[in-house]
Amino acid sequence: MSALGIAIGLRIAAEGKPDANGELVTSHPLLPESAEIIYGGIASLLIFWAIYKFGGPAIKKGMAARTERIQRELDAAAADRSAAATEAAQIRAAKGDIDGERRRIMAEAEQQAAAVLTDGRARLAAEVADLESRADAEIAAAGARVGDELRAEIARLSIAAVDHIVTGSLDDATHQELIEGFISRVGAAR
Amino acid sequence: MSDDRIEGYARGLFEIARAEGSIGAVEDELYRFARSFESSDALRSALTDEQIPAAKRLAIVEDLLGGKATPTSTQLISMVVGAGRGRDLPAIIDRLVARASSAQQLELAEVRSAKPLTADQQTRLAAALAKATGKQVNLKCVVDASVIGGVVATVGDTVIDGTVRTRIDQLKSRL
Repeated sequence: MSALGIAIGLRIAAEGKPDANGELVTSHPLLPESAEIIYGGIASLLIFWAIYKFGGPAIKKGMAARTERIQRELDAAAADRSAAATEAAQIRAAKGDIDGERRRIMAEAEQQAAAVLTDGRARLAAEVADLESRADAEIAAAGARVGDELRAEIARLSIAAVDHIVTGSLDDATHQELIEGFISRVGAAR
Repeated sequence: MSDDRIEGYARGLFEIARAEGSIGAVEDELYRFARSFESSDALRSALTDEQIPAAKRLAIVEDLLGGKATPTSTQLISMVVGAGRGRDLPAIIDRLVARASSAQQLELAEVRSAKPLTADQQTRLAAALAKATGKQVNLKCVVDASVIGGVVATVGDTVIDGTVRTRIDQLKSRL
C-alpha cells in the first residue's frame, strides 16, 4: 500500500461533519480535509513525477559521476597501494642487499685485516732477521776492524822498533860490510 | 824554465868546465851539490828566494863551497844562482852530467849510500856495475841518510837495491 492510500484512508476515517452553517469543519487535529488531501496528493504525485522525470537523469548522472569518481579514487588508491607495495618490496630487497653488502664488506675487511696482519708479521719477522743479520755483520766487521787496527798498530810499533834497533846497531863496520856485500853481489850478478 | 833554456845552461856550463879541463871533478861536485840542493829545504829556499839579494845568495854559495869544491864548480853554481835560475839548478846539472857521460860514452850510474864510499869502493863498484849492466858507467855517489845502510845503484832504468831501508819497507809490507 502506498503512502497516498494510507493518507486517503486516514482522511476518510477522520471525515468531519458540516457545522450549522453547512460548512465542513474539520475536527481532526492532525489530518486536513479530504479534498485537500486529494489535491495535495495529486500535486505531490505530480511533483514526484516531475522530480523523477526531470531530476532523475541528472541525479543518476551525478550518482554515476560520483560512483565513477569514487571508483577512480579507489583505483588510484589501489594503484598507490600497489606502487607502495612494490616500493616496499624494493626497499626490503635493497635492505636485504645492504645487509648482504655489509656482510660482504665486513668479511672482506676481516680478510684484508687478516692478510695485513699476516703480512705485517712476516715483514716484521724479516726486518728483525735482517736487523739481526746486520748487527751480526757489524759486530763481525767491528771485530775484524779492531783486529786489523790492532795488527796495524803492532806492525807500526814493530817497524818503529826495527827501525830504531837497526839504525842504532849500524856502526861503521856494519856499514862497510853492507857496502862490500853489495859490491860483491853486483859483481857476481852476471 | 823552458826545456831549451835548461839545455842551453847545461851546454854552457859543460863547455866552460871542459874548457877549464876539469870536467870530471866539476860534474862530480855539481852532481853532489844538486842532490844536496834537492834534499835541503833551507838551502833550496835560500838560493831561490828572490827577496834575498843576489849578492847574499852568492855569498851563501861561496860559504858552502869555498875551499871544499873546485873554483870552477863554485863559479858555475854562482853563475846560475846569480842569474836567478837557482830553482832549475838540479835540472841543469843533471843535463850537464848526462852530457858529460855521453861525451865519454858512459852510462850515468847514481849510487846512494848512508856512508860515503871510499875511492877503492867506488872503483870496484863501477867495475861491478859495468859487469852487471854491460855498460861502462859514470859513477855518481850521493850520501843519503834515508837509505839507513847499504847501497842502491840506478843505471838508466835498472835499479839495484841493497839498502836497509828497502828491507825494512819489505818487512813493513809483510807485516
